[in-house]
Amino acid sequence: MQLDLIGFTKRFDGTPVVSGMDLSVASGEMIALLGPSGCGKSTTLFAICGIHRIDEGRLMFGERDVSGLPSQRRNVGVVFQNYALYPHMSVFDNIAFPLKVQKADKDQIRRRVGEMAELVHIETLLDRRPAQLSGGQQQRVALARALVRNPDVLLLDEPLANLDAKLRLEMRSEIRRIQQETGLTAILVTHDQVEAMSMCDRIALMNNGRIVQIDGPTRMYRDPMDKFVASFLGNPPISFVTPEDLPCFGAPKACAEIGLRPEHVGPQFGTGLTGEVRFVETQGREDLFDIALPSGRMIRSVQPAGSGLRPGQTVDWGYDAAELLCFDRQEVRL
Amino acid sequence: MKRMNWLGLGFLAPALLVIALFFLAPVIMTGFFAFTNMSTATGITGGDYMLNKSALRALGDAGLPDATLEKLEDAGYAVDEKGLAALAAQIDQETADEFARLHGGESFATRRDVERALKDLRQNRIRKTRDRKAAAELFKRSVLNERFGTEAEFRAALTAGGIAPRDHDQITAQAYTGWVWTTENVELLFTLPSTWRYAANTAIYVAFTLSFNVGFGLFLAISTFYLPAAQAATFRAIWFLPRILPPVLYVLMWKWFTWDTGFLSTVTGWFGMSPKNWMLDSPTHAWTTIVLINGFVGASMGMILFASAIRAIPASMLHASEVDGANRWQQVRYIILPQLRWPILFTTAYQTLSLLTSFEYILLATDGGPGRATEVWALAAYHTALNNYGGNLQYGLGAAFALVLVIIGILASLFYLRLFNFRQLVGKPLIEG
Ligand SMILES: Nc1ncnc2c1ncn2[C@@H]1O[C@H](COP(=O)(O)OP(=O)(O)OP(=O)(O)O)[C@@H](O)[C@H]1O
Ligand SMILES: [Mg+2]
Repeated sequence: MQLDLIGFTKRFDGTPVVSGMDLSVASGEMIALLGPSGCGKSTTLFAICGIHRIDEGRLMFGERDVSGLPSQRRNVGVVFQNYALYPHMSVFDNIAFPLKVQKADKDQIRRRVGEMAELVHIETLLDRRPAQLSGGQQQRVALARALVRNPDVLLLDEPLANLDAKLRLEMRSEIRRIQQETGLTAILVTHDQVEAMSMCDRIALMNNGRIVQIDGPTRMYRDPMDKFVASFLGNPPISFVTPEDLPCFGAPKACAEIGLRPEHVGPQFGTGLTGEVRFVETQGREDLFDIALPSGRMIRSVQPAGSGLRPGQTVDWGYDAAELLCFDRQEVRL
Repeated sequence: MKRMNWLGLGFLAPALLVIALFFLAPVIMTGFFAFTNMSTATGITGGDYMLNKSALRALGDAGLPDATLEKLEDAGYAVDEKGLAALAAQIDQETADEFARLHGGESFATRRDVERALKDLRQNRIRKTRDRKAAAELFKRSVLNERFGTEAEFRAALTAGGIAPRDHDQITAQAYTGWVWTTENVELLFTLPSTWRYAANTAIYVAFTLSFNVGFGLFLAISTFYLPAAQAATFRAIWFLPRILPPVLYVLMWKWFTWDTGFLSTVTGWFGMSPKNWMLDSPTHAWTTIVLINGFVGASMGMILFASAIRAIPASMLHASEVDGANRWQQVRYIILPQLRWPILFTTAYQTLSLLTSFEYILLATDGGPGRATEVWALAAYHTALNNYGGNLQYGLGAAFALVLVIIGILASLFYLRLFNFRQLVGKPLIEG
C-alpha cells in the first residue's frame, strides 16, 4: 500500500518538532527515516501509527485519508524500540493479541499465529513468557505481532538498537527478508546509517524536523544535496577543506568548501596534496590516517593495511578529483 | 565477623524494642487476660475473701444446704480474744478480764444469752441495757461481710463457724473477690449465639467494605488515568480529602447527612416522604452507611496505589495495545488490569487485616446499632472490655474476643508474607529481562 505524508507538522507545546514534512513511500518499498538524535524521527513514526495527533497535513494510505483516525483503525504494525511485549502473556498470546481484540475466531487465530511463528522462526517458543526470551527472540515476537494482522504499513522504531553487534547483523537481514517476503510497505526509523543503507530501498535523511534528502543509499552517499548529508553519511566521515588547500583543483568560483571522502585520498591518486601523518589507526583490513595539511586543517585517508607509513612522515597525497564535493557558503552542494 | 554481628544487633535493637513493646507485650497480655475472669469487680490485682448477701444467694442457687447458709449468716457468739479485746476497749479492762474468767472460750447461740451473761457479772456488771446490747454484739461471729486477707484465715473462720469441711471449697471459691484462671471465656465465645452474630457481621463488614474499596479505588485510578493530567490531579485530591479529615468530623458529616432533620430527609421530604433517620432505621441502611463511610476513606488508598501502578506501566506497552487495535475497554481488561494484579492483591491483603481490627467509624456512626445489627467483632471486644453498658467491664471476655482477632491476624499475615515472597521469586526474571 502506498503511503503519503503531505505537509505534516507536529508541535509540542507550540514548538514545531516536525514542520511541513512530505514523504511518499511506494507500495512494497522499505524506506529509512535516518537522522541525528532529536530530529523528529520517532515523532513522525508515532504520527503515522496514530499515537500522536497530526497537527497539520494529511496522511494517506493508498486512497484512504487516515489523518483523523485513531490508531486502532489505521491497521499499521509497529515494532517498538523496546519491543513493548506484554509481559503477562505467553508468546502465543502476544502474537494473537491483535486478532483477539478483533474477535477473530480461535481456529483462525491459531492458524495465523502459526504462520507468523514460522515466518520469524520462533515455532518452539510459543509457550514462553517474554521475560524468558533473548533480545533477538523478543525482537522476532514483536515482529510477528506487528505482522499478524496483515497491516497496510509496517513501522519499525530503532528495532536493532537493543541488540548486540552479531545479533544486529543477523536481524538486519532477517527483517529485510521478512519485509520482502510479505511485500509490505515499511518505514524503518534509525540513527545508524549502516542499518539504513543496508536494509532499505531509499533513505529519508532528516535534520531539525525536516527531510533534507530522499534517495537511494548509493545515490545519497555519492551525490549529497548539502554539507549536512555529506557529513552525516560515511564512516569514517568525510573531511572538509577550502579551495586554497587544493590549488591544483579548479574549484568553481562559488565554492567555499570542498568535501573529501577518506577513500578518495591517497598516494594511488597521484599528487597535489602535501600533508604530515599525525595519527594512524589500525583497523585490521585497512588503516585510517589523520593527516595535517600545511594550513593546519586535518583530513583523513583510508589505505589498505601494510602501507608502512608512520606518524611524523610528510607525504605527497593525491585525491580523486572526480569525487570531490563542492559546497557554497550556504552549505548547498554546487 | 563478630563485629558485624554486634553492629547488626545494634541496628536491629530499636526495631526489636518496638516489636517487643508494641506487638509482643499487647499480644501476650491479651492472651493472658483471655484466660482470666478479670472484670471491674475483680480488679486486675489479687483479691480478698469475703462473703456478701449476693454471694450467699449464688451459693444457695448452687445447691448449698440451707442449714449451712444459715450458719454462714449467723454463726452465733463466741467469747474469744478478739471479742474480749474489743470489750476492753469499749467498757474497761476489768470487765473484760472478769468476763474472760467466767465465760472464756464459751459459745452462745443467741445474743440474749450473751446479754444475760454480761448482766450476771459479779464485780463489773454492765447495767444499761443499751450498753449490754452493744457489748454482746462485739462477740457476734459471722463469716458474712467480713474481709479476710488470705485463704487460710477464711477457712479458719469457716471452721470456727462450724461449717462442714466438705462445703469449704465451694464457699471459698465463691468468697474470692479477685480474678481467677478460667477457660470460661473461650467456652462462652463458642456457645453464645451473639458471638456467631458478631462473626457474621464482621464477614459482611470486611467483604463489602473491601469490595467497595478495591472496586471504587480501581475505578477512580483507571478513570483518572484517562483524564488530562491537571483534571486527574484535582479529582484525586478531592477523593483524598475524607482521609485527612478527622474521623469525628467526617462521621459527623455523615450523621448530618442521614439524620431525620438532615440532608437526605430534607430532600426526600420535598417528595412527600416522612423524615427518618436514614442511618439507623434499618440494618440494611446501617450497613450501607457503614460501607460507604469506610469505603470513601479506604478507596483513596487503593486509588493512589493503583494510579501509581498504572503510571508505572511503560507507555510503549499501552501504545502497542492501541496500535494492535484494542479499544479502551480491551486495554483496561487485557493490559492494565493484569498489570495491577499484585497491587490489587496487596491492597486486599492489607485492608483485610486493617478492616478486621478497625471499628472506629462504626463506633462513631452506629455504635453497633440498630440493636446489635452492625456490631462487629472488634467493636464487641471494645464494648465488652472497655465500654460495657452494665458498668462491669469484662476485661477477660473482651481479651478473649481480641485474642481471636490476634490469631486470625497472625495467620493471615503469615499467609500473605508467603504469598508476597513467592511473588518476588516469580518476579525475578522479569527484573533481569
Ligand atoms: N511528548 C513530547 N513532549 C514534548 N517534546 C517532545 C515530546 N516527544 C518528543 N519531543 C521532542 O521532539 C523532538 C523530536 O523527538 P523524537 O523523539 O521524534 O526524536 P528522534 O528523532 O526519535 O530522536 P532519537 O533518535 O533520540 O530517538 C525532541 O527535541 C524531543 O525533545
Ligand atoms: Mg526516537
